[in-house]
Amino acid sequence: MDFASLFGAIGQIFTPWPFFMLFIGTALGIVVGAIPGLTGAMLIALTLPLTFYMEPFNAVVLLVSMYVGAISGGLITATLMRMPGTPASVMTTFDGYPMARSGRPGRALGLGITASFVGGLIAWGVLFTVTKPLSILATKFGPFEYFTLIMMAMVLIASVSEGSLVKGLISGLLGMLVSMPGVDPATGMPRLTFDWYMLNGGLQLLPVLIGTFAVSQIIKDCLDMGKLPDRAEVNNRGVLMSLRDFRRHAVNMIRSSFIGTWIGILPGIGASIGSVVAYTMAKNVSDHPEEFGRGSEEGIIASEAANNATVSGALIPLIAMGIPGSVIDAILIGALTIHSIQPGPTLFLTNGDIVWGMIATALIANILMWILMTSSVRYIANLIYLPRSFVLPVVMMFCVIGSYALNNTMFDVWVMLMFGVIGFLLERAKIPLGPFVIGFVLAPLAEQKLRSGLMMTAGDISPIWTRPFPLAFTIIAILLLVWPIVSDWRRKRRAA
Amino acid sequence: MRKLLGLAAAALLATGGAALAEWPEKPVKLIVPFQAGGTSDQMARVLQAGAQESGALSQPITIVNVGGHYSIGSRRVMEAEPDGYTFLIIHIALMGGEGTGALDFGWRDFEPVAGAGEFCLAPMVRKDSGIDSVEQLLAKAKDEPDTLIFGANLGAINHLAGLMLQEQNPGAKFRFVQIGGGTANFTALTGAQTNATVLSGAEVVNFTLLPDGSENPEAQIKPLAYTGAERFDGLPDLPTMAEEGYDMQFCVKSWVFAPKDTPQEAIDGFAAAMEAATETDRYQKFITDKGFADVFLKGEALQQDLESTWTAIEPIAKLATQK
Repeated sequence: MDFASLFGAIGQIFTPWPFFMLFIGTALGIVVGAIPGLTGAMLIALTLPLTFYMEPFNAVVLLVSMYVGAISGGLITATLMRMPGTPASVMTTFDGYPMARSGRPGRALGLGITASFVGGLIAWGVLFTVTKPLSILATKFGPFEYFTLIMMAMVLIASVSEGSLVKGLISGLLGMLVSMPGVDPATGMPRLTFDWYMLNGGLQLLPVLIGTFAVSQIIKDCLDMGKLPDRAEVNNRGVLMSLRDFRRHAVNMIRSSFIGTWIGILPGIGASIGSVVAYTMAKNVSDHPEEFGRGSEEGIIASEAANNATVSGALIPLIAMGIPGSVIDAILIGALTIHSIQPGPTLFLTNGDIVWGMIATALIANILMWILMTSSVRYIANLIYLPRSFVLPVVMMFCVIGSYALNNTMFDVWVMLMFGVIGFLLERAKIPLGPFVIGFVLAPLAEQKLRSGLMMTAGDISPIWTRPFPLAFTIIAILLLVWPIVSDWRRKRRAA
Repeated sequence: MRKLLGLAAAALLATGGAALAEWPEKPVKLIVPFQAGGTSDQMARVLQAGAQESGALSQPITIVNVGGHYSIGSRRVMEAEPDGYTFLIIHIALMGGEGTGALDFGWRDFEPVAGAGEFCLAPMVRKDSGIDSVEQLLAKAKDEPDTLIFGANLGAINHLAGLMLQEQNPGAKFRFVQIGGGTANFTALTGAQTNATVLSGAEVVNFTLLPDGSENPEAQIKPLAYTGAERFDGLPDLPTMAEEGYDMQFCVKSWVFAPKDTPQEAIDGFAAAMEAATETDRYQKFITDKGFADVFLKGEALQQDLESTWTAIEPIAKLATQK
């Protein structure tokens, strides 16, 4: 631990230019994160060209604070409108929205903001202390390690879906199915494209996500336009958590933060999965699992603590090994290389000021995020009472812009609209949307890792049980699958 | 009404005549068929800024990133109006895709405009592999065919380079495994999940040398040779493939293409703007940092470069599709 370097970097951030960058980055990140269809990845990608002309230190401060802000801002729309502002806030919609609809939007947002803050702080502590040893462990991960890890995540997700397990599975399989067209990960050739070249790149995550979550909600809201809105009293009580709250939720908050940090470290598995795993864990060990999905405080805390924790977690492999821990990290690597800074084992030696700038920014942006969000939440919470006829067209516009801006193709806009209709129909059939998106995201990763592994071993699948990590992940997956069934059985037996 | 029609006709004539007027009359689009942030995108943006700085073009260049599979952006340019306001920047992937059959069109469906910023590759192995030369690597791949694991992004540049390498010693056979790009392969090779790969010269410098140019003792991988015509400035001790006795060159340039039937005036004008851009300090700094060679091709030289690259790549790309 190198406190001198840390304080040096913090001192540098509190000079005019870097602090300006930090403020702008965090505030813009929150706003963009809050807007469904605009993600942190997009904001950072669009900002990247501007950083060509900046000092590397300022550029890094700007980009990392955007990252922190964007992951946090997503909870606002997730809570108030059941539209995840960023993919990472999907899990927050399950409990944040019901709580807000029941007349406690302030409380729901306050829980989310504080959990985000605590998650960010805890993960930052890990980033500061154990960057090197943990990243060395992560490089030992081969395809089978990744494959079993993803399978474990998928098992976790199967139990996330509210309602019938069968409908959850249908949803997950549909998600996996629509992820199949595009480039075959094992041969590089297009497949299942029906000779239609627009499908060569497959269906992109962002339009599918915006469609299933945002557009389907807009369709639903339009149909319900006459009935809305419920005019509950504007109520901002509970934005600040009391000491009692902290005591009550401490275990959940800390556990979820560590889950988020750990998942953030693993390359390719970003904030969305972190919050899914933490949420499921919280649900499985909760005394009130039946409240999850109906406005559970624990659910909001688990999701938000974990997704913010992934930010610092994902920076660990980026700094120590030059491996992106998330999509945004991949863009950050691009930003560093533009400034001729190569992330990797020698980065601490060669560009110590940049590394410490990133680490210090992760800390200070997190604090600034908490201040900005708690102080402005009373205004933001009022958004929910804006007439839908004003809000929906604006949101729809951003959905279209967001989908188009991703690749500059109208194709993605049509995909988004199509998945809006699909999402709407699935919901009508009481099929949950969560597993759909998770299946869509994870299936290609799992396939690629498994096929890489099989190419390496010439078709031998035994490393799954002969290597320690795959074996451990498989066992954990089985335990997690069996745990709810066993605890349910025990509860029933006790009741009988 | 007649007056209105007359006005409309006049307007039509005016726009119809635009292509014949002095080029360029409006901003020129340069399509990058990849998402923002990659090497091709950085290259495009440096050329854009350089062209602006040099004042070689009276109109700005706007960069449009078309993500997804690179065939989507490429096709958009191929099918664009050949009015001299749409260009494409892409590398050898265009030929690889045509050769493997992933694309149903190819480089001959475009007008070549310019080529710049060349980089070449280095075959890599682990330091503890007991392999010290390309000859030993290929001998091992021949003695134990299909056992040396070669990390690649199947169908892409590093896969094609690996195939070309194994063809240097008939009978040699790597086992190609889907790993990904440079950083992913560095990690996989460092973690001993793979036995060999290829990296660009700049990547070799970043992954194996300390900033003062001395060898990084923590690096677990080493280059065997360089696939350029001459040695790489960043690695002056690394022999070329030719010095090692192999007739193999594998280098990648950024090529700028226009749709077929684009007016010659626009092609020449844009090529001149690109050439001016490569002479700016900004571009020179960029290629030094990236380890690119300062090459610029247009006209006949570019045509020859494309043809010789295609002659080398086509048979290799066919191999890539065989299992």
